[in-house]
Amino acid sequence: MSRKLTVVLLSMLVLAGAMGLKTAVTAHGNSPAVLSANGVPVPVPF
Amino acid sequence: MLGPADWVIWSLATLFEAAVVVCSLRKKVFRRYFFLNLYMLSSVCVSVGQYRVFMHYGRGSLEYRYFYFYSQALLVISLYFALISLYSRVFQELQVERYVRFGAVLLLAGTAWFSYAVVNQSSTRMLTHFVFELSQNLYFIGLVLTYALWGVILKLRETRALLVQLVLSLGVYFSAYAASYAVSNLRPDLFSHMVYLFPVIGCLLPLAWAYAIWRVPEEARIAPARLAVAPR
Repeated sequence: MSRKLTVVLLSMLVLAGAMGLKTAVTAHGNSPAVLSANGVPVPVPF
Repeated sequence: MLGPADWVIWSLATLFEAAVVVCSLRKKVFRRYFFLNLYMLSSVCVSVGQYRVFMHYGRGSLEYRYFYFYSQALLVISLYFALISLYSRVFQELQVERYVRFGAVLLLAGTAWFSYAVVNQSSTRMLTHFVFELSQNLYFIGLVLTYALWGVILKLRETRALLVQLVLSLGVYFSAYAASYAVSNLRPDLFSHMVYLFPVIGCLLPLAWAYAIWRVPEEARIAPARLAVAPR
């Protein structure tokens, strides 16, 4: 398998893993939580 | 209205972010960790911009909301490239930078496509929802990538102490985000109690980076045996 195909496969694995993790985390939530990454006040969501 | 704690966290975060850039310039590693510094510099600029919009229009205004969500998305993309630059540094000796760049662009495009697919059903403010979804998804991509990078560091027996500290700080940051996000979704009643937790950890990331850049010399090495427990 070529290196490029390996990179494509790894990228898809990371994407699937991350989205699976997010789905698992939000499975029981009603609305997405808005968190401030750099200390700034979070506005009211739309 | 913001309370004193909000102002303190906001000010400290901006101060620490500026400190990372100053420490990098003083230690002459600004160009070596350019994307990390670019993220910190962007974060300082965004904080200043958000302060101006916040003071002018107020927290509940449409202007502040748009500015907040769009600037956060740009920051997360900037953080993503900072993480990819750490990958490039770890894989530097293997001469695979071209593949790292290719994978990074592919992953970003894949995340954008996934985010679009999620918000496709929403007809109103689709672009704003897309931006919000993209930035959240990129945090989880960052989390998985950081853990994968840690695995690579252990496997390759990476010994550069500064690089190891930068990656570990990022790992703690992303893990805290995922944990806060999970608790907020699983126990919404606890959200008001832990609303300061993630912003405080957001302050600690630039503090940890500034400390590492200031105190750990670029040529410092750490024994691989201290990074992993080897089976006897």
